[in-house]
Amino acid sequence: MKLAVLYNRTNLVITVTLLIIAAVIYFFAINYIARTQLDNDLSEEVAEVVDYVSTYHKLPKQVDFDEDQTVFIKTNQKSISPRFFDTTYVNAKEKEDEPGRAVETLIRVNDDYYKVIITVSRESTEYLLQFIGIITLGLMIGLLLTQFLANRYFLNGLWKPFYGLLHQIKGFNISEADSFKITNKRVDEFTDLGAAVDNMSARVRTDYQHLKNLTDNASHEMLTPLAVITSKLDTLIQHEQLPSEIYEQIEDIYAATRKLSRLNQTLLLLTKIENNLIVDHESINLKTLLGQKIKQFHELILAKQIAVFELLDSKEIVASKYLMDILLNNLISNAIWHNNDHGKLAITLDSEKMVFQNTGIPTELNQETVFERFKKGSKSEGTGLGLALVENICKFYGWKISYEYKDELHSFMIVF
Amino acid sequence: MIIEDERGLRENITTYFTGDGNICESCNTLQSAMDKLVMYEYDCILLDIGLQDGEGFAILDYLKSKKKSESVIIISARNSLDDRIKGLDLGADDYITKPFHLAELKARVMAVLRRKMGSSNGMLTFNEISIDLQGRAVTVNDQHIILTRKEYEMLLYFIANKGKVISKTALAEHLWGDEMDMHNHFDFIYTHIKNLRRKLLDANGRDYLTSIYGIGYKFKAE
Repeated sequence: MKLAVLYNRTNLVITVTLLIIAAVIYFFAINYIARTQLDNDLSEEVAEVVDYVSTYHKLPKQVDFDEDQTVFIKTNQKSISPRFFDTTYVNAKEKEDEPGRAVETLIRVNDDYYKVIITVSRESTEYLLQFIGIITLGLMIGLLLTQFLANRYFLNGLWKPFYGLLHQIKGFNISEADSFKITNKRVDEFTDLGAAVDNMSARVRTDYQHLKNLTDNASHEMLTPLAVITSKLDTLIQHEQLPSEIYEQIEDIYAATRKLSRLNQTLLLLTKIENNLIVDHESINLKTLLGQKIKQFHELILAKQIAVFELLDSKEIVASKYLMDILLNNLISNAIWHNNDHGKLAITLDSEKMVFQNTGIPTELNQETVFERFKKGSKSEGTGLGLALVENICKFYGWKISYEYKDELHSFMIVF
Repeated sequence: MIIEDERGLRENITTYFTGDGNICESCNTLQSAMDKLVMYEYDCILLDIGLQDGEGFAILDYLKSKKKSESVIIISARNSLDDRIKGLDLGADDYITKPFHLAELKARVMAVLRRKMGSSNGMLTFNEISIDLQGRAVTVNDQHIILTRKEYEMLLYFIANKGKVISKTALAEHLWGDEMDMHNHFDFIYTHIKNLRRKLLDANGRDYLTSIYGIGYKFKAE
């Protein structure tokens, strides 16, 4: 979940809850104040009646004072405690019932006791309450809306540098030297973050550069001794009087030296691909290239008497010629080397995929480890890096390579 | 002249080339190479890029600025395309990466020298064998023989390294390049050698090719 959404949601819940609680408290408070006010008014009315009675010693006329309705009922009760209560107020003019508030008390005129009930309309108070309620509700909605919009536009704007930085981090390429930039320096945290990321990337780049230099130098340092070994061997075999066992030993040293130098070159190339250091991309017609490769392997194919089936459509790709050479060399030489005598090799190429199918050992290779470095068949004389290299080249160009064993055919499929 | 800072390699190259009647000088630093270049003329310079006192490219710059005619073959441990292009741009004639076989180096040197001198007639003659380098045609005792591409390349390679024992590994690397696994190729070499030898003999050529203890072959110098 996005931070803004989460934040908005939490904010919304808290605000709404708070507003509801506040509204309830507000309602009761206003209600209480309005009622107290009414009761005070009623008490004054009662006091007026009492004044009237004590002055004139008779009941006032049962007329409506102002809007009040006063009722006198003769009673035998000697005492009655005054009480306030909600009742219905009959508005004679408008001929309708309205909510009312009344007070009931006992009044003594001469020796008679009367129950006095004074009723006032509560309508104006109710009206006030409703009005306040609507204003509160409007305020609530307004507040929520403002908050929502503020979050949406202001907060998003506030987070913009963060997302900008994130975008830059996602596009981080260790071999490129561009630095991270925070577009907006208003927020200290983001500026700090930008500086920290920039710092870190610079450190990583330096480390990487060191490592690359080390690999480079290591390659140089390793190849020179290898060149010395080779040249010594070349010189050694010029003595034609050496016993033949020595020559056999020399032959093995040649093979080992060669393998070592191939390993070295392949590892360097792998590192290069993994770090996106291949830059010479050109347009290549795979069909033509495949044709050349098959011709190049002609002698090997002939020697093992392998039947080659080609089903090639034209396919243009943009890639490094060097890498494509390596890719095809590896796949084809694998398909030949691990093939049976009189076996089959089928190469299919269309606009979507390229498939190499060959006969060979009758068991499936391990799907999971087939592309791993230094995993190789027991018979293999290779470096064990061939398929790892193939996989890396495919990954580099965003192609998908898969292996399967079906109908006695080992097949490697590249989907472009 | 050989400019290479690794003593073992420098000595071996010198020995290999002098054995053939060539005159070789060698030095191990950029400075000593410069000193010699000022005083003498050379046919060909073998130049290591990674020297102790600087990059070998400086030599190329110097030759270019003085308009000297020495051919240069760069020997480098760096197989990077950039270095290769830079070297060739600066006027180097060829680029060979370590590790290499001495026979391969010799063949490259001979090819470079042929291009430099023999461009007038384009013919390479060795005793009764003469090769038209442009037309890729071979005659033995004025009799035209037809060679496959591999046999032709092999013949040139042998003539460049006449009198030397050439290992099968070096030969396979020369013929099939770096990209393929070598093990299957020894049988093919045998076949090619057999065919080449037969074709030369059929044209009444001398029997130059001998096999040495299964390790390689030798093309006799006389």
